[in-house]
Amino acid sequence: MSVQGSAVRAARPRASVNSLVSSLLVLLLVAFFILPFSWMVSMGFKQPDEWFVTPPRLIPQHPTLANYLGALDPAFLRYAFNSVLVSSVTTAITIICALFSAYAFSRLAFPGRRQLFTLIILTQLLPLVVLIIPIYRFFAEQGLINTYLALIVAYLTFTVPVAVWLLRGFFASIPVDLEEAAKIDGCTQMGAFLRVVLPLSAPGIAGTATYVFFSTWQELLFALSLTTSQDMRTLPVGILGYIGEHETNWGLLMAASTLICIPVFGLFLFLQRQFVAGLVAGGVKG
Amino acid sequence: MPQSWHAVGGDFLADTASQVKPAAAARAPRRRAWRDAYLGYFLIAPTLILIGVLIVLPLVEAIGLSFTDKLFINPTPRFVGLQNYLNAIQSDVFWRVVLNSLLWAGIVVVFQFLLGLGSALLLNRNFHGQALARALVILPWVTPGVVAGLLWKLLYDPYIGGVNAFIHLFGIPDPWIPWLGNPSTALGAVIFTAIWKGSPFSMVMYLAALQGVSQDSIEAALIDGANGWNRLWHVILPEIMPTVRITVLLTSVWTFNYFDLIYVLTHGGPGESTEIFPTYIYRLFFEQTKLGAATTMGVVSLVILLVFALFYIRELNRARVLE
Repeated sequence: MSVQGSAVRAARPRASVNSLVSSLLVLLLVAFFILPFSWMVSMGFKQPDEWFVTPPRLIPQHPTLANYLGALDPAFLRYAFNSVLVSSVTTAITIICALFSAYAFSRLAFPGRRQLFTLIILTQLLPLVVLIIPIYRFFAEQGLINTYLALIVAYLTFTVPVAVWLLRGFFASIPVDLEEAAKIDGCTQMGAFLRVVLPLSAPGIAGTATYVFFSTWQELLFALSLTTSQDMRTLPVGILGYIGEHETNWGLLMAASTLICIPVFGLFLFLQRQFVAGLVAGGVKG
Repeated sequence: MPQSWHAVGGDFLADTASQVKPAAAARAPRRRAWRDAYLGYFLIAPTLILIGVLIVLPLVEAIGLSFTDKLFINPTPRFVGLQNYLNAIQSDVFWRVVLNSLLWAGIVVVFQFLLGLGSALLLNRNFHGQALARALVILPWVTPGVVAGLLWKLLYDPYIGGVNAFIHLFGIPDPWIPWLGNPSTALGAVIFTAIWKGSPFSMVMYLAALQGVSQDSIEAALIDGANGWNRLWHVILPEIMPTVRITVLLTSVWTFNYFDLIYVLTHGGPGESTEIFPTYIYRLFFEQTKLGAATTMGVVSLVILLVFALFYIRELNRARVLE
């Protein structure tokens, strides 16, 4: 900075120049992360004859809804149904299973607690592609390929450890005094958990459930390996099939991609605060 | 980090024990401890069984298979010792995959850190639309991996993609670069996409960590040119260092294991130019049905991850997360 003169006079223009610069940087940042999506949305409204227009237009000249209507065909709806079913059932089982375990890890003293919790945390570092090999073989032997059961059980391998971890972080932030008070009033340990801790951790549970739902909604590797029939595919595997060997209907594909993002973005914006709190609680504070 | 809950179990016992009548004082806490232990094991049993059956057993089986010549077609696998490992290290593809994986994870993590921290410092300031900007910036991370892959496959398309159109804006007449089709640009392209997709996670973590740093320091770091770097280096970074270390470790492991993006964008190609451990293991197993070779690569990637795991445990201990 070349501004000379008294510190007081110098500070002000410098501050406002800098705040202008940082506003510009924020704009650039948002553009960098968001502009690619505009290409996706725009493509969804374009007809094929507009794809090759140079320079390409972000806003189509003759917008069409044909791609969106075309994307909502019975096959896509079937994928969506499978995804919703598998993700919701997995989320429900995960949360029930993880609630009790997380509570035990945050409140009860038992030998081996620390080691077992370390084990749970470390499972998150495992590459799923290594696990899928024996898991695939097992399900194939049992004739369970192309079943919801196989997908849900496979998903539990990565959802339960994460959920235990995140929920433990939330329980830890609730003062123990509250449970103590409940117990003096005649509650058992479990009673105190169900009546005092659970209601207070509702936001944390919502955040954890969202996280689990997200991770199963977008899961590719297991869904790709454990389903082979069209009927059983989930959305991520299903739309991969839209990529043609020789040509791809990008309009249709981007319309379908936009449709897949809508529930995820909606849920995220709705539960943003809990979601972020959950990540931070789990990732940093434990 | 709050200290109150770390020793919850212990403090808890001490408090109640002091309230019990002296005569029963010796027995009651012990009974209490037993009850806690039983209840604890009971409550974690479902999770432990799940981990045992779905993670530990398959892992042991996978490691075992890496010492056999098992294929889908030969039903009785033979023990071949380290043969699979010797085959692996003697093949060029193996070293290509190792190099790609390290480049991929290394570059992605460095840029996710830089972009994540930069974004966090910028979006930590109070300005109109701060909440909106934060929400928008997180979207790539919330986007399903397959969708992100398909979107960038389109953007990298030489003719109808946005990347070349963007370059075109700057006056380069016909930049019809096939980003993903060219072995020399493909790895860079998938790395760029992974940075775009993953940086918001780092940003969220650093934003949270910055709440513990005084607002003045952050303002000063942003506003005050030369002195700003000083503040960033000597005040802000040391303060958020525990979060930085854990975030960098986590993003390294996640990137190393990330399958979706490369599978959708390039399938590991062209040639082996973007093949990393997860995509190569998948190809060996599901496309070439080489069980032994696939699990061997799996074990090698586990060994690499083990190094990260040790650092991770150390960090968690340091942050007192495990207590």
